[in-house]
Amino acid sequence: MKHTVILLTALLASSVAMAETLTDADEIIHRANLASYYAGVDGRAEVRMIITDNQDRQQRRQFTVLRRDVEDGGDQQFLVVFSQPSDVRDTVFLVDKHVDRDDDRWLYLPGLDLVKRISSGDKRTSFVGAHYFYEDVSGRQPREDTHELIETDDNYYVLKHEPIDAASVEFESYVTWVDRNTFLPMKIDYTNAAGDVYRRVEVFKVEDVNGHPTVAVSRVSDLLGGGKTDMQFRYMSYDNGMPADVFTERSLRNPPRDWLQRSKD
Amino acid sequence: MRVLLILLSLPALAMAQDDMWDDEGWGDEEQASSWSGFIDAGVGTRFEKDPLLDNRNVLKEWRARVETSWTPGKTEISLKGDIGYDGILSEPISELRELLLSFSPTDKVDARVGRQVQTWGTGDLVFLNDLFPKDFQSFFAGRDDEYLKAPGDAVRLTRYSESVNVDFSWTPVFEPNRYLTGERFSFYSPLAGGNVAPDPPLSGVKPDKDFGNGEFALRLFKTIDGREYAAYAYRGFFKDPSALNEQLQPTFAPLQSLGASLRQPAGPGMLSLEFSYYDSRDNRDGENPLLPRDQLRALLGYEWEAKANFTVGLQYYLEQTLDPGDTRHVLTNRLTYQAAMGKYLWSLFTFYSPSDADFYLRPSFTWRHSDQWSLTAGGNLFGGSDDDTFFNQLQDGSNAYLRVRFSY
Repeated sequence: MKHTVILLTALLASSVAMAETLTDADEIIHRANLASYYAGVDGRAEVRMIITDNQDRQQRRQFTVLRRDVEDGGDQQFLVVFSQPSDVRDTVFLVDKHVDRDDDRWLYLPGLDLVKRISSGDKRTSFVGAHYFYEDVSGRQPREDTHELIETDDNYYVLKHEPIDAASVEFESYVTWVDRNTFLPMKIDYTNAAGDVYRRVEVFKVEDVNGHPTVAVSRVSDLLGGGKTDMQFRYMSYDNGMPADVFTERSLRNPPRDWLQRSKD
Repeated sequence: MRVLLILLSLPALAMAQDDMWDDEGWGDEEQASSWSGFIDAGVGTRFEKDPLLDNRNVLKEWRARVETSWTPGKTEISLKGDIGYDGILSEPISELRELLLSFSPTDKVDARVGRQVQTWGTGDLVFLNDLFPKDFQSFFAGRDDEYLKAPGDAVRLTRYSESVNVDFSWTPVFEPNRYLTGERFSFYSPLAGGNVAPDPPLSGVKPDKDFGNGEFALRLFKTIDGREYAAYAYRGFFKDPSALNEQLQPTFAPLQSLGASLRQPAGPGMLSLEFSYYDSRDNRDGENPLLPRDQLRALLGYEWEAKANFTVGLQYYLEQTLDPGDTRHVLTNRLTYQAAMGKYLWSLFTFYSPSDADFYLRPSFTWRHSDQWSLTAGGNLFGGSDDDTFFNQLQDGSNAYLRVRFSY
């Protein structure tokens, strides 16, 4: 009985916390950043992308992504290993994400046994032919934009962001709809210099994985040129206990099979 | 209101998403092995006939690639092989590019034993400390870039540790470059004082097969705060038959080299620095005219995305031959433009040597039509003012090519 009371109190406390309305844009973005990129101390997911061009022709990509936090909300490491299609099979992408400086990114091309370094200026370039950018894999740093809360409704915090270094990006501003309960950004609209919304990111399905609300289906649309990339996530897991050395140059040539294989349970 | 509409339409959209994909294709059904590869057909032709060669084409071939791997336990066995037909040499293509056993004998050590392609160093199409075999015939004839690196039979051991990573590669039997032989391209011969296309084709006399004539390559490397430091050593032979033996046959002179490199972000791009000292082991005083002399090689490179999807790479390469001195400078420029998210790839790589007064242009256009089909059109254009310079000797080999690939 005593335990039940404590549990009830805890539940009540958490629902109060959820109902709390935030008014600080930076705090909302901080929580959204944690929810989107920092769930658990590490994470694993298998990802499929269908890239559809403006003439409805489709391409596919399939890869496994591993992630480990060096510090919650701080530095992170990502490893992306491709399995499909055959011309990108065994291509590996490694990111050392830094909060206080530009991220370090490497791409391993198995045909040439070549470890390529990707420069920081390259971050808003298509990731393997998708409407996603290199930067979208590991997340844009909150410090690179200004954040303004423009609306709060029953479900969303609506924020407007402007780049601090406008020359480094193709957008003039973007607006994010952040879910008030999960803090996951459910929709992002990018506006260009002409004032047109030209790019949209949408989340269609969120699943609970080990207690973390997790994006399972999403899409990026090119609203001016036509075309879109649909993304589907499966076999997500958190707190797997991945060691730091999974995310080193060693994994480019020798991807860590123990962590790429699905756990049997 | 707009948000509400989106909310209302959420379940329907989510269902539409699920309909596009079934549960197949997640690799659940894939077992320990899988097969993939491509079929590639290419034709390349000279702009003008080479008076020394009958065939106007430099490329006329098809090839089928098979790639697979098995993973019994903690070991991986991987295979990559090509079969096809080469219409220039009028013979079948049958090439094993990889047959490799990969395993980790200890926690910190990766071993790769067998036929493999190896690459290290910081240069872009310029090689200093990378003395692994290259295939310049493929490169000049318009085959896919992958074929610039030729496979070799080697044992590669890499030890990873906190202090420094150590990479060791042993090629028991010397594996030279696939150099110009006179079959596909004629080349300059100092003895003849002009271009030649010998029949039988040029074949360098290889060192005897004994332990001391193997190739030993070592790399120490470490990344600190995004800066990649590396030091290199090599003991083996010059990879091209640039020496003459006592019978005046072309051969490979003994070589050892030492070098270092640094690669790091700088401004919006990536900066690289590399140098290497080539010690011509049998000609240290530089007095034997039949053997290559010592060289100091240095490279400075910078690559950045100048505009969205447009990348510029610049390199300055110095080759200082010693005792007596002779200097060769080469500037390179890579321009890459991606359109439609990589569906169209325009590229121009330029080599220009102010000291040799010669150049080599590599324009190409790749259209990735789908995950299966891609088409590449390009050219290899050589020119200069003197007959005996590296790029200008290939002037009569200037060509345009077209390749179609089906990947499976």
